Amino acid sequence: MFRFAMKMAWASLARRATRSLMVVLMISVSLWSLLLMQGVYDGMTEQMINNAIRSDSGDVSLFRRGYRLDPSLENVIPDTFPDGRKVEDVLGMDGRVGSFVKRLQQNGVVATARYSRNIMIYGVALAAEKKHGQLQRYLLTGHYGFGAKRKGAIVGYRLAERLHVTVGSKLILSCQNSSSDVVSISVRVNGILKTNNMSFDEGSVFIDLDLAEDFFGVHQGVSQISVMMNEGKDIGELQLALQQSFPGLDVMRWDEMYPALMQSRVIMNGFKSVVSLIIFGVSGLGILGVMMVSIIERRREIGIMLALGTEFSQIRIMVLIESLIMGFSGFVAGSLLGWVSLLYFRSYGLDLSMFSEAFEEFGMDAVTYALIQPGYFLSAFTAILSAAVISVYFPLRIVSKVIPARIINEI
Amino acid sequence: MARSMWYNKKMDYFMKPMLLVVFLILHPFVIRAESVDEVIRKVVENLNGNTAVMDIRMVVKTSRAERRMEMKSYSIGNEKSFIKITYPKKDKGITFLKVNKGMWQYVPRIEKIIKIPASMMLQSWMGSDFSNDDLVKESSLYDDYEHKMIQETDELYQVELLPKEDSAVVWGKIVMLVSKKYLLPTMVSYFDEASVLVRQLSYGNVRSFSGKNYPSLWIMKPTTSDKKGHETRITVLDAVFDGRISDEYFTKRALKRFSR
Amino acid sequence: MFLNFAFRYVLAYKRRSAITVLLGAVSTALLIFTSAWMDGSHGQLIKNSVEIYSGYIQVTASGFRENPGFDKLVFDYGSLQDQIKTVPGVDVVSPRLETFVLFSAGEKAVGGMLIGIDPDKEKRISRLFSSLKGGAYLVGTDTIQLYIGSELARRLKLDLGDELAFVGSGTDYSFAADKLVVKGIFQTGLFEFDASAAFLAKPYFDSIMASENIASQVIVLPKEPVRAAQLASVIRKTVGGAFEVASWQQTMSALLKSMKLDSVFGYITLGLIFIVIFFVVMIYTLLAVFSRVKEIGIMRAIGTTPREVLLLLLLESSFLSFLSVVLGGIAGALSAYYFSIYPVSFTGMEEQFKQYGLAVATIPTSFKPLIILRDMAIMFFLLVLATLYPIIKVNCLKPIEAIHHV
Repeated sequence: MFRFAMKMAWASLARRATRSLMVVLMISVSLWSLLLMQGVYDGMTEQMINNAIRSDSGDVSLFRRGYRLDPSLENVIPDTFPDGRKVEDVLGMDGRVGSFVKRLQQNGVVATARYSRNIMIYGVALAAEKKHGQLQRYLLTGHYGFGAKRKGAIVGYRLAERLHVTVGSKLILSCQNSSSDVVSISVRVNGILKTNNMSFDEGSVFIDLDLAEDFFGVHQGVSQISVMMNEGKDIGELQLALQQSFPGLDVMRWDEMYPALMQSRVIMNGFKSVVSLIIFGVSGLGILGVMMVSIIERRREIGIMLALGTEFSQIRIMVLIESLIMGFSGFVAGSLLGWVSLLYFRSYGLDLSMFSEAFEEFGMDAVTYALIQPGYFLSAFTAILSAAVISVYFPLRIVSKVIPARIINEI
Repeated sequence: MARSMWYNKKMDYFMKPMLLVVFLILHPFVIRAESVDEVIRKVVENLNGNTAVMDIRMVVKTSRAERRMEMKSYSIGNEKSFIKITYPKKDKGITFLKVNKGMWQYVPRIEKIIKIPASMMLQSWMGSDFSNDDLVKESSLYDDYEHKMIQETDELYQVELLPKEDSAVVWGKIVMLVSKKYLLPTMVSYFDEASVLVRQLSYGNVRSFSGKNYPSLWIMKPTTSDKKGHETRITVLDAVFDGRISDEYFTKRALKRFSR
Repeated sequence: MFLNFAFRYVLAYKRRSAITVLLGAVSTALLIFTSAWMDGSHGQLIKNSVEIYSGYIQVTASGFRENPGFDKLVFDYGSLQDQIKTVPGVDVVSPRLETFVLFSAGEKAVGGMLIGIDPDKEKRISRLFSSLKGGAYLVGTDTIQLYIGSELARRLKLDLGDELAFVGSGTDYSFAADKLVVKGIFQTGLFEFDASAAFLAKPYFDSIMASENIASQVIVLPKEPVRAAQLASVIRKTVGGAFEVASWQQTMSALLKSMKLDSVFGYITLGLIFIVIFFVVMIYTLLAVFSRVKEIGIMRAIGTTPREVLLLLLLESSFLSFLSVVLGGIAGALSAYYFSIYPVSFTGMEEQFKQYGLAVATIPTSFKPLIILRDMAIMFFLLVLATLYPIIKVNCLKPIEAIHHV
């Protein structure tokens, strides 16, 4: 019986091939573009968030309480707390923590013979940063390292431009050390970074953590510990747990450090939902129209079938299958197209460099790598199939009112 | 012990004529290699003195205007110095203290002692073509550079100063002309890393102040395009070298106390 | 006669026509509203950024914008002002002198900008006066009274009436320092600006900074702000090569670029929605046309030429498109108009705007009838285009085929 309905559905679809194809085409093209939009926009948002997390905040960051208001060398996280505990030990034992890095930072000045700028000097452990946020991936030119003598520096590309320096140039860093003396050291540019995290690209110099300790005159403690979590762990839980075990520290989530990024994500999601809703709604209308017409056209046949004793439920199944076939084919074609395009943009990226300057203004990458999430296809599948099912409701209601005898006699 | 003495003696005996020959051949180089450091050491010593109390006039010239200032400076070597502005009237009583690497300023008009922060060290000192940093770090010509004799004439040494790898100086190179007669600089040229001239400081009018020869005219001239027409002239009006200076000048309290 | 036929067909298939019209109308309204929204929000952002401080037209000494410094100031403000004032269309000319100083209060020392302004004229060329948050704005005879940014005041831990000091240098590179008293605190919403700027009345400021008749930039307010660029070029000719005259389009080029970027994303998304709508309209037309295949066949059989059939169908679809564009146009225009008078406010989102250095709390849509007509025309064209394929296709059928079409 089901097979019969299936056959009937196919037959009626094939009879109006142009029409059916057009519906399938409509669904697939709209799905395709929708998938593209989602993947690219998500890629963009997540890239921005990812840049901030990898280069700075981690999933959560620890600071000494009060550091954010007064970021001085006095406000460091001690290596060992008075009760003998160490932050490192606690983090190392926590199964939720994937990796963490320590950073020591201080405001200072970088100078060459001609130019000087106010900047933030970061003492970092490059090997740990590599594992932590894959900092080396942001390297634009030069080497990811501080050289054999650890006297190298890695600087943001915008800073390098402003100081007119390249790899190998000498920089003089000056800052106020922990005993309030103005101290200076010379370093050579080893690498230039482009993180698209603006505050980094414009005003940061990275030096070796040990060198920074000597330079700043800080013999214990760090300014920030950035923590990356293992996949699938709950960030709020970790934050709470860390906050409870270190009441003297501020434990901040990335979205607390970069609230604007979180808002971008929320706005983007809302925006996407609205657009999806419109698109699926309109596609649903398209299917509805076609089903409506195709059923009204076949009123007589249906009347005859009913008169010959076909159950109404069978008619219903037939119509439903017809609509589902169209919806499903559109879904498959659209998903395939979308998936392939997204796959391409995921590996090769979408180059929007013609607006590149504006992009950087907003802390975005010029080349956006698309994101592919199973959710896109799942929600599209649900949306299209529900549209297909809903769109047969009205036509079926019309048919259900059909009194076989009258219909047959109608023409 | 005895054995080595004998050995030395024997060496002396055989080698003396030989060494003499070698020495004669190498002579100019050996002298230079040893003395170029010596030259710079002496130059720095002669410029700073053990202690110095000076009356100075500073004229700052820009493309538009010329401004004259006068001040009194007290210094011990190059570690400590205290400067008090005496002219013009508007700025009279402003004092500066430099101890080691820190620098403070007192401004009577606002009754405040201000520590010059790291971010302002590279800015101009009193609108001149010297930076705060120049005042603090002028010291390092001897310690922070490798010295190389480039040329020697009857009157001058030409010395190239290349910063040591670890020294925190912005210059790529400094070329100094030193008068042989006084062991004082006559011209110091500062280059950036690309060996482009950034500024020149010339010294002239060597005068005798209480028996010590000292350049009484300093002219600093930046050569970068954005400082076109700028020039700072320092004239030493009077100076007393190697006298006793009270330690009291080199405390933060002095800033306010000696301001009047 | 054709028109009559067309009407009758449209009326005969009420429901289907209604859906087509509805879709067209919704698309039109969507396009109009989106344009109005983007235009309005961009206009608002620019207006804010321009009007808060930077001004519509900036006149500086040549080379100052590239590389600011005391050697490149306007040294004879008086005569420059007289020259600019001769240009028709100039409303207000006002001088500013920006200097970088170290502010010091108690133990705190913070670097910032100290700016000398003409308080009365400044009132008209920027929103400094209306950004007053506490205390009072400056008057021309003020001396050590300071008008300070809220964030800067917070960083220095200052409140109204508190004392602070500054050290800096005058335009002749002489040493400048003075004690000041906080008279007013302002908050423009531009975070960076509020965190670094403070103002003094220029007459007194000039006495400390040796800057009488000197300005770092001269701000010109045009009588018609929309014509700022044209006015700037006239002023450029008047004042000669010793000065640079920049309209806001030049001083705010980065902002303009980001607006362009935003528009691109907006139109991409809109285009996406239109693709779907285009298809649906096409499908509906197809259905409508093919349900009448028999009639068309008969018409052809009794001698109507294909051209006449085409005309008839086109007329019909144009009529439907026109109807939907008009309906959508009215809806779109009404909403654009409504939100231009009652702007949408974003009270929870200042943080995001702040990070972008933009100060916006409410965004009005822009209501420009010409743009609305343009959008309506675009939509009309698109809708007719969508019906073209089915119409041509049905016209390609031979009369016999058509009559027997099932």
